[in-house]
Amino acid sequence: MRQAFSKGFIYILLTIGSLLMLLPFIWMISTSLKTPGEVMSMPPTWIPESWKWDNYLKAWEMAPFLRYTLNSIIVVIVSTIGEIITTILAAYAFSRLQFWGRDIVFAILLGTMMVPGEMLLIPNFVTLSNLGWINQYEALIIPWLASIFSIFLLRQYFLGVPKELHYAAKIDGCSNFRFLWSVMVPLAKPAIVTIALLKAIGSWNAFLWPLIVTQSEEMRTLPVGLTAFTTEAGTNFELLMAASSMIILPMIILYIILQKYIIEGVSKAGLKG
Amino acid sequence: MNQKPTLKDTLIGYSYLLPALIILGVFSVYPIIKSFFMSFYADYDFFKDIVHSYGFDNFIYIFQDTEFYKSLTNTFIFVIGVVPASISISLVIAILLNSKIKFGKLFRTIYFLPFVTSVVAIAIVWQWIYHSEYGILNYFLGWFGISPIEWLNDPKWSMPALIIMCIWKSLGYNIILFLAGLQNINPQYYLAAQIDGASKFKRFWHITVPLLSPTTFFVSIVVLINSFKVFDEVFALFNGRPGPGYSAQTIVYYIFEKFYNEWEFGIASAAAFVLFIIIFIFTLIQLYVGKRKVNY
Amino acid sequence: MRKLWLMLVCAFAVLVLAACSSGSNEEQGTNSNGTSKQGTEKAEVTGIDGIEITEPVEIEFWHAMSGDHEKALQKITDDFNNSHENITVKLVNQGGYGDLSTKVMAAAKANTLPALTQAYEDWMTEYIENDFITNLNPYVESEKYGFTDDEFNDIMEVFREMNTWDGVLYGLPFNKSTQLMFYNVTYFEEAGLEVPTTWDEMKEAAEILTNDDVIAIGFENGLSIGFNQWVHQAGGQFFDEATGEFKMNSEEGKYALTYVNDLIQSGVARTAGEDGYMSGPFARGDVAMYFGSSAGLPYVAAPAAENGIEWSTAVLPSDAQSAAPFAGTNVTMFNHLSDEEKLAAWQYMKFLINTDNTIYWAQQSGYIPVRQSALDSDEWKSYVEENPTYGVAQQQLEYGFYDPRVKGAYAFKNAVAKELDKVFLGEYTVEEGLEAADKAAAKELGK
Repeated sequence: MRQAFSKGFIYILLTIGSLLMLLPFIWMISTSLKTPGEVMSMPPTWIPESWKWDNYLKAWEMAPFLRYTLNSIIVVIVSTIGEIITTILAAYAFSRLQFWGRDIVFAILLGTMMVPGEMLLIPNFVTLSNLGWINQYEALIIPWLASIFSIFLLRQYFLGVPKELHYAAKIDGCSNFRFLWSVMVPLAKPAIVTIALLKAIGSWNAFLWPLIVTQSEEMRTLPVGLTAFTTEAGTNFELLMAASSMIILPMIILYIILQKYIIEGVSKAGLKG
Repeated sequence: MNQKPTLKDTLIGYSYLLPALIILGVFSVYPIIKSFFMSFYADYDFFKDIVHSYGFDNFIYIFQDTEFYKSLTNTFIFVIGVVPASISISLVIAILLNSKIKFGKLFRTIYFLPFVTSVVAIAIVWQWIYHSEYGILNYFLGWFGISPIEWLNDPKWSMPALIIMCIWKSLGYNIILFLAGLQNINPQYYLAAQIDGASKFKRFWHITVPLLSPTTFFVSIVVLINSFKVFDEVFALFNGRPGPGYSAQTIVYYIFEKFYNEWEFGIASAAAFVLFIIIFIFTLIQLYVGKRKVNY
Repeated sequence: MRKLWLMLVCAFAVLVLAACSSGSNEEQGTNSNGTSKQGTEKAEVTGIDGIEITEPVEIEFWHAMSGDHEKALQKITDDFNNSHENITVKLVNQGGYGDLSTKVMAAAKANTLPALTQAYEDWMTEYIENDFITNLNPYVESEKYGFTDDEFNDIMEVFREMNTWDGVLYGLPFNKSTQLMFYNVTYFEEAGLEVPTTWDEMKEAAEILTNDDVIAIGFENGLSIGFNQWVHQAGGQFFDEATGEFKMNSEEGKYALTYVNDLIQSGVARTAGEDGYMSGPFARGDVAMYFGSSAGLPYVAAPAAENGIEWSTAVLPSDAQSAAPFAGTNVTMFNHLSDEEKLAAWQYMKFLINTDNTIYWAQQSGYIPVRQSALDSDEWKSYVEENPTYGVAQQQLEYGFYDPRVKGAYAFKNAVAKELDKVFLGEYTVEEGLEAADKAAAKELGK
């Protein structure tokens, strides 16, 4: 009886929370189907008076979104895979290997998180320019192939894996490298999938950097296309929201697919504690 | 296992680190060092990279600037308002979402949505929630006899409005991190505890809390650092202004304004340097506390 | 975890050391300075008439135009490319104005600036300060490629002045807008009121039009940053470019601030505040009139029409004198280019605002034609007849003025606006606000 009551309480709590989480999302979808006049109405209408599906078509035609999509996909896939590799290697070194200067290097990298990214934009542009990478995929991808945030996250996760496993593997003559890929990585699947997901979303939504380092439509990514709906005098909200809805859809699908790997980590990996 | 590392160990260690070190060295460490250095430029030509003289002029300027102090105060208020609330709320939701509930998949997807929803949409909906006349927040507060608050027009309320929105916005992200962390706890511990007759709360307190501590430690450091760097949300909620009468100006807003709009590169660097020192001190405190409390 | 916090301290020490050692690299910058100075001097004009473009030249024009504006700009550019052998102008969209400004800053630092960019006057002031942009006088005066006196003076005087610093022309006007009064025709008719042309009439009308559902007057959130408009109308001066002095702390300034502040404090006027932009409340019928940019016309038209709001625009009411602020960007030319590239860029600048193109641009975008001949043309006249709201802005040209242009103008304008905001928020009296604004201005201008 008490069990049922507390369960019921949990559901009520989660449902109220869900509504709060959903509001902006619903507003985004609903606005994408409105007319310009209805967008302005206060309080907002949640169900559009007439469903303007052609907003989606109009939005799609406002910028070369097909090309942008292709670029976004390339950039997301390459930079996510690249970051996962650098992260796994670095996190393993920081959590399980002993070497000179380990903690100080880690601390320096941690320190880089403490500086606002706004300060790094111009010097990095100059670096890329000197490398001749402006308006190339290199500029969109290479600076983002490693992240101290991800390394830190995975390091914490690796530290949570019992040390005894490492000792046992060493005694069995298992090399560091093999141990990392055959034991640690499968165990850390939830963390790695999480990192990949956060990275993919971050990269998919990145705006300022791709805009600054590219010079032509052929090299630009999806979020840059969103600027087509705003001028100094106003914004076409219905078209902007239509485009935004289209852009985030792949990320929602990605999350739904990856969710099970985040949630069912250890039980599947079959760790005996 | 804590024997002194040999040269070979060190070489192995750095070979693992190398790819990440190259990228982070070139695109994070190097520009940061450059910008710290720039904070000591007194007389310089930013574009031609000529420095005529060095000095503390930029630091003297910011420490005499009332706007700078105001930005610092606002940033501290923001951090105090957001960090504890954000961490505890997301921890609770993550634990609920991780328990065996019906529609778990659906709930987890919903709680993830704010993280991908367009920032513009989020800002506009919150502008509506806060609207003094049409907003739902004042409508609910009306039930308790609270007269309408001008959340976005009144300088006194702009920081609370920003804080509430940012707590909301941070949830999706933190929940994902906690959910991942919760998977690192072997369910057999719970099973064993249950057999021993430990209550739900006891299980939470003696298993979940200590075994989740590496994740909690990580989330708290990341949330703290990110909160000190708050900028985009201010920009979005107040339509590109730092609140009515600059009442929600944060330190990164100050830095951005100095660097990109006023072309005061040295002053912006000095302010970024001060921000770095502040975050640095707080992270030290966290590490110190973490050292005692975090279980590995 | 062991001693990690101690390591963080060490890491910090390492960073500081590294910073100090990288100092030696910086010094080398001084050497390269000599060469880069030479580069700019070489490009100083050596008889523009003697230059011919015989080889293909490709130049870039960075802009922040999107949507229909971008399409119109592209059409003009295509026309130019088709009619000019050997010259190709490539348009590069750099996002919004803020993004464009950031991009120019980054490109300047990396020595990868384009030939042309859109720029506001306060950006251009910084560009001049840093020696980025080209003196256009020799191009204007060139016999072969320049303007005749008539052609040059055909460009509206206020726009020419905006682009001139100490007698040197640094840009040509491109997309220009002004402030207008938008009003709700129905509300005025119901109240039997004429559209106000003076401050007194406006105040009177405001008191009549305000009721439980309607606040008579709306101001954009930029009220305080654009407050010079009210000071000028009161017959005062906001800033003296010649002496670099802030002049608002005067009788006229006080009168203007008192007038606007009284409107707000007595509840007959409001700022956009939480609504972001006034076009929203106006299209809902929450305000009877508001002051906004002529560039916003299309954004008012669509929602207002849907909500059945009958509206129109009028010139700004005046007090001691008429005055209307003009804003928007110019096209300016960077100076690292070869003589041929500069000539190509100049020809494009000229082409962009010739009479036909400025008419086309204005019709497509809602900005103001920048030439008198365009305003006088039959094509434009018949356009205005069909779209009367688009014909109001040009009536204000004869008394147009522009924002102060001085190094640090952005910081100065903001510092003053911050103090004026405190008056409107009721934290300061008018006198206190003016005192504080005066001090803030002195601090920023004296820097």
